[in-house]
Amino acid sequence: MTNTARATRIEELARQRPRDWFLRISALVVGIAICWAWVTSHPLLGRLSASRRWENLQRFSEGLIPSPVRKSGDWIDAIPWAWELLTDGGFVALVTTVGIATAAIILSGAVVLPVLAMASRRLSRVDPFGLRTGKVGGSLGLGWKILGPIVRFGFVLSRSVPEYLIAFLLLSLLGLQVWPLVLALAIHNFGILGRLWGEVIENTDDDSATHLYGSGLSRTSVYATSILPRSLNRFLIYFFYRWETCIKDATVLGMLGLLTLGKLIMLSKGFFWDRMLFYVLLGSCFILVMDLSSTWLRKRLR
Amino acid sequence: MPDPATEPSYYGKKRWVFFVLVFVFLICAWALGLTPRGLIPSDVNQWDRTARFFQAALHPALDYEDVNVPEDAEPILVKGLKGILLTLKFAFGAMSLAVPTALLLGFFGSSAWWPEPCGKRSKALLRVVYAACRFLMSFLRSIHELIWALLFLSAMGVSPLAGMVALALPFSGTLGKVFSELIDEEARDAAEALKAIGHGPVQTFLVGILPRAMPNLITYSFYRFECALRSSAVLGFVGIETIGLYIQLSNEEFYYREVWTYLYLLIAMIVIVDRWGAMIRRHLQTKEGGCI
Repeated sequence: MTNTARATRIEELARQRPRDWFLRISALVVGIAICWAWVTSHPLLGRLSASRRWENLQRFSEGLIPSPVRKSGDWIDAIPWAWELLTDGGFVALVTTVGIATAAIILSGAVVLPVLAMASRRLSRVDPFGLRTGKVGGSLGLGWKILGPIVRFGFVLSRSVPEYLIAFLLLSLLGLQVWPLVLALAIHNFGILGRLWGEVIENTDDDSATHLYGSGLSRTSVYATSILPRSLNRFLIYFFYRWETCIKDATVLGMLGLLTLGKLIMLSKGFFWDRMLFYVLLGSCFILVMDLSSTWLRKRLR
Repeated sequence: MPDPATEPSYYGKKRWVFFVLVFVFLICAWALGLTPRGLIPSDVNQWDRTARFFQAALHPALDYEDVNVPEDAEPILVKGLKGILLTLKFAFGAMSLAVPTALLLGFFGSSAWWPEPCGKRSKALLRVVYAACRFLMSFLRSIHELIWALLFLSAMGVSPLAGMVALALPFSGTLGKVFSELIDEEARDAAEALKAIGHGPVQTFLVGILPRAMPNLITYSFYRFECALRSSAVLGFVGIETIGLYIQLSNEEFYYREVWTYLYLLIAMIVIVDRWGAMIRRHLQTKEGGCI
């Protein structure tokens, strides 16, 4: 091939490449939105003067050093200080955080499991797996037709409100107790687990389920004896992933005033930056450990 | 179907998962004092408030409930839409910082581009960079965006940049981790071919691996954008002006109908973005990427 022939061929190929107007317009919208976000965020650094900001920053970063160390200049003194913070509330808060997250994720998993069957595109219809079992029409047929979309939309709705917001609203209704936090996490994760687990059961091949349904089992039995056990491992992967996220979120929900790390962080904010940093790092360390162990667990489950 | 007689442990294991989870739940409920009674509002006041809250869901406010709002104030719907725009603004700003950072972190936290015949010393260096990037990503995402926001607002004062950076940090950690995994999972045949005809490692990565992983990267970024929207709404609770701030203020005054107006706007925005994402996914022909 000569150079010109190659050039024309390349041009031709370039012209033939798939073009998608929807994607182009989406990209354009995103691009414009990003420019708009930066241009209109004025003043970008806030209204404080530069010198005030610098003062703030200095005070803040000085405050981050543990108070005994600030006095003596010796980092050894930070150890008893940290131990005291850990035993005086820190540890309890950590355990409470984990407890709330665990209760919430199990609760939402327990609700999602039965509902999930109703959201399945292949099971929740008049003719599951394309197998017709007689004439069904009228309201029953319509009922089967709209059940799946309604449940799936329910998933979208419940995951669209951030858990922090749900917790805030529920706290003002139910008063200061643990339930609002658990419920908030459970409601939000109901939608997310519904979507993630839904994907799993849509992607699992269903020959055994088809077989069982064809041989006369009900939808419920097919779901419980074939679809569920086959997808369980991947369900657990997502379950642990969400559990991990729940712990992180539960930490922060404490900022609304209940005894998780978030509350301690909120209480020490403004006066004891060193304590605040300690609690932040405590939570962070815990999540790092969780992260490592869940990566390990995920590898084993796969 | 596997024969239970030949696979005795098969059924037992799966059943135990449920038993253990129920048991763990009961322990947690006991330890936290979660009783069914806690779910029922305790006195007449609370009953009244709860009833009012849920009734308000049917009649979201189209006008301010607060009588002290000045006559010339903008209508509540305009204010709500402005809140939505501000929420979008922080999410877009944060993602425009997070995605490039994540690409960089994801690149150094992935082994796909490592040159194959590689000296001992440079391999050790690559390993160190790899481990450092992975750790950095884990650390960034181990702190919740609200706490990052709290730290940044304390250090820098309330400013748009602080909010965006606070959102961008944990998001770049998560995005980077998933990017590196998506890149590592992509088939390497094109890259091998390019390498065989003498391309360098970085060229191979940019031409052979990255374009192939691109649809998945875009899909995942868009999903995270949705998450960023939610987080951005919540930033309102630490004092940055987004829809969350309006919800908080209205709720504190018990203007539940206003709360629902804002909530409906927020839900509508998220549902629309969710549908947009689904369409992008369909056009890119990628599967719904899980969030791991």
